Amino acid sequence: MASKHTIATRHAQGIRARFASRFLRSLLRLRRSGNRFGGSQSNDEGIGKRIRTDRIKIAAYAAMARAVGPRRTWSRALLFKLRNRARIHGVSRKRCLVSEKKRVTRNKVVAISSREPSRADTLRKLVPGGDSMDTCVLLEETAHYIKCLATQVTVMQSIADRLLL
Amino acid sequence: MINRALLPAGGGENMLHCTDMTVLERQRARIKWQQEQQQQQFQLQQQEISYFTELADVFHQAGFHEGGLSEVVTRSVKPDPGLVDNGWNNDHVVGYGVGLPYNNGLGFELNYGAISRTSSCPPEAVAAVAAATVKGSESVVSDKISSGAGRESSKKRKVDKIQNNSKVVAEEDTRDKRIKGCAEQGESKITEKNNNKNSRNNNTNKNNNSNKENSDETSKDNSKVSEVQKPDYIHVRARRGQATDSHSLAERVRREKISERMKYLQDLVPGCDKITGKAGMLDEIINYVQSLQRQVEFLSMKLAAANPRLDFNVDNLFAKEQAFPACSINFPTIGMSSDMTNPAYLQFNPAQQQLLACCGLDMGIDPPDMALKRTTSAPVSIPETFLDSSCFTQTHPPPTWDADLQNLYNVAFDQGRQTSFQTQPFTGSIEASNLKMEM
Repeated sequence: MASKHTIATRHAQGIRARFASRFLRSLLRLRRSGNRFGGSQSNDEGIGKRIRTDRIKIAAYAAMARAVGPRRTWSRALLFKLRNRARIHGVSRKRCLVSEKKRVTRNKVVAISSREPSRADTLRKLVPGGDSMDTCVLLEETAHYIKCLATQVTVMQSIADRLLL
Repeated sequence: MINRALLPAGGGENMLHCTDMTVLERQRARIKWQQEQQQQQFQLQQQEISYFTELADVFHQAGFHEGGLSEVVTRSVKPDPGLVDNGWNNDHVVGYGVGLPYNNGLGFELNYGAISRTSSCPPEAVAAVAAATVKGSESVVSDKISSGAGRESSKKRKVDKIQNNSKVVAEEDTRDKRIKGCAEQGESKITEKNNNKNSRNNNTNKNNNSNKENSDETSKDNSKVSEVQKPDYIHVRARRGQATDSHSLAERVRREKISERMKYLQDLVPGCDKITGKAGMLDEIINYVQSLQRQVEFLSMKLAAANPRLDFNVDNLFAKEQAFPACSINFPTIGMSSDMTNPAYLQFNPAQQQLLACCGLDMGIDPPDMALKRTTSAPVSIPETFLDSSCFTQTHPPPTWDADLQNLYNVAFDQGRQTSFQTQPFTGSIEASNLKMEM
């Protein structure tokens, strides 16, 4: 039992450590890429607060997904989504529109099947990759997702506090 | 005997594995189980002869003729396909019941063989015989006969669900019909027992063979919870006084899985102790996930605003974060962090300094476990200070964030929940709840 506890704590520390390191690395990368474009000008006007926010947010989710690895359904779905997003951003706009349409039709099909969004459906929308899960699996994935989100929040908070002060 | 006593609590992942098994694997496992069951049944024959003396008397009275007894019996021993083709003429239908009076052992074999095949869904294997022993001779016979007839519908459903072998399914259907024909002879006893039969049969259905022979009274009184067997497939035991057809059993298993996961979520999500019921819990969970996601977005905004200042801080921070999780301590980072503590962090508020002091000093000195505990306890202070409104106003909130802040505070941070909200997930990740799930 004691060994299990240490393993669990090591896992908890492991996930926090992995996420923290990945996130910081991606922050650095963002910083450097921002510097390349912005130069002397302050970064607020250069790229735009919203875009920067979104980039940081994406970096956070990507870091978390990679830290978890492909072990979990939601992390796999997140990674898949991020990879698609990266691919889409890299390709021309036409293709981007096409893929958007595909996504829209898929969503419409899903909407037809459910008349009113039940709680389980709302949860499915929140958890990445939740569409292809039955309720039982969904709850388990939600639990793990909540844990990872919590670690994400704590790490980001500590980083932000240290940065701003 | 196969021991199926596995608690579902320990089998969270096992259940996952069970569900991960393909249908084919499960079916193969089931076939293997059936074969084992049949073997067991054959082994049990010798002990059960006494039961069938009464049956023999009844059948004797019913006046069945004995033609084809030997054929039926021998064929009952053979595998199923043979039984279908050869053993089931009209004569043999009658002879199905006939076997008993003339040779108890053989009759027993026949019963077992037939029953095992009639209910080749394993849990049903014991039903008729078990029921028989409980009620006594006459009812036993009628039960056994009518069990085929009455149970036909449920068996068919179960067959569709569980059976993979279409041949076996066909056999069962034909056999059921034949048994029905046989049952008409003893109709008087059927009707009165039919109502009780189903529940009792299915109750004892789920028992092990070993239970059956010991005492069916006790097996009936056993109000056992559903059990999960490891690698094969799920054996479910019907609870006393509850519906026992296959559909409701499967639903019960599913419901129990869901409730177990809801309980685990209840521990994770703070402030859910008082909430009972799936709906409220789901609402809380949804709220919690939404608030966490909003927090991430909010923090990313904060970091975006802080980005211009990332110049030298990030490097420091990187070293800090490396040292921060105590598990991977390498000396260069420790050296760096200890150098950084003095000059760079004088501006930090006391809470931060405390944390940094912990990180910088304790890492190098304490053994990893101690440092681990230290670092796990230290960051708790940070979320609390973060929650502190006073602290927060110090940290330069841009005007655009006020709305978000308010939003966050209204939704996520109840007065009573402030500290628990932050510390709960943190401790939750450390505490024994981690033992249940792997990261």
